[in-house]
Amino acid sequence: MTLDPATAAILATVERLVIEVAGDEITLAGPLTLTTSFNADLELESIEFVALAEQLQAHYGAQVDFVGWISTKQLDEIIALTVGDLVTFIAART
Amino acid sequence: MADLSVNGVRLHVQRLGAGDRLAVFVHGLVMDNLSSFYFTLATPAAAHRAVRLYDLRGHGLSERPAAGYAVADFVADLAALVDAESPGAPVDVIGNSFGGLIALAFAHAHPARVASLVLIDAHDGTAGWAAQMAATLGLQGQARDEKIAASFQAWLGRHSERKRTRLADHARALVEGTTLVADLEASPPLDLAQLATIAAPALLLYGERSDVRDRGAALAAALPHATLEIVAGCTHSILWEATALVRDRVVAWLEAR
Repeated sequence: MTLDPATAAILATVERLVIEVAGDEITLAGPLTLTTSFNADLELESIEFVALAEQLQAHYGAQVDFVGWISTKQLDEIIALTVGDLVTFIAART
Repeated sequence: MADLSVNGVRLHVQRLGAGDRLAVFVHGLVMDNLSSFYFTLATPAAAHRAVRLYDLRGHGLSERPAAGYAVADFVADLAALVDAESPGAPVDVIGNSFGGLIALAFAHAHPARVASLVLIDAHDGTAGWAAQMAATLGLQGQARDEKIAASFQAWLGRHSERKRTRLADHARALVEGTTLVADLEASPPLDLAQLATIAAPALLLYGERSDVRDRGAALAAALPHATLEIVAGCTHSILWEATALVRDRVVAWLEAR
């Protein structure tokens, strides 16, 4: 699948920040795609997710209110989150 | 990463919300960190208070010194954090499990700094708690890993292999690589007479099937201004088993004062 340049750029940023918080062994199974699940595929720990939120905020600024967005979700929705969900959220606010 | 150095230790801190009045959340022992509150109570609470979440020393993304894990050390960290983040003004302290014990000990040691307490299935720190804790954490090898895994069955989304391994590695480093267990065992217990001096209003939420449910009843009797609610069907993990109820109670509690 070919991504439009804006989506590809956000995906690349998300991948870089995920590696920053969780280490580069996180992508041993392959690069992040829009369908990669944070929980089932990346097995990101909750505390790493917190760190990722902070990195996203630092990178994109206050208009990307990741914590506020997460707080509108139920726990099972958070667990089911994909990279694509996050990229879509960021794309709508940047 | 947002952090704060207190008592020579770098603590990971998350700050949400705004305003003059502060609520500080204190998580549980060894397998826990601030993410429990981050994903459950922090944002709703931030509508009513400036919220501070922090990883206890040795936990989450905070520094893990080799020594200094007595209850008094955890209390000193909380006191330093409150001094730094809310100079002069008392704060609401919300503690889960061992975090509730720290909240109680803090309220006893620094009564003027506490506006109110919310204790979620808290250990009360009276005689016997440390031995019970040490018996669990002092298990060796596979026995402890199994105990750890069993304790966290209820923690949704946490049981994948990478996470279980990393949490177990982290727990092992804390339990075997530091003086945590010995320091907690050597910490003087609180007694009910001391707890009776805590004048701050306290909300106590305990699981009906929790192994520390009797501590909730004892605290409700000892604390002068306590409200106890037993949450039907829940074990010790009520933050996960009854997240919506706990959130509603905590928000209503903060809103009302």
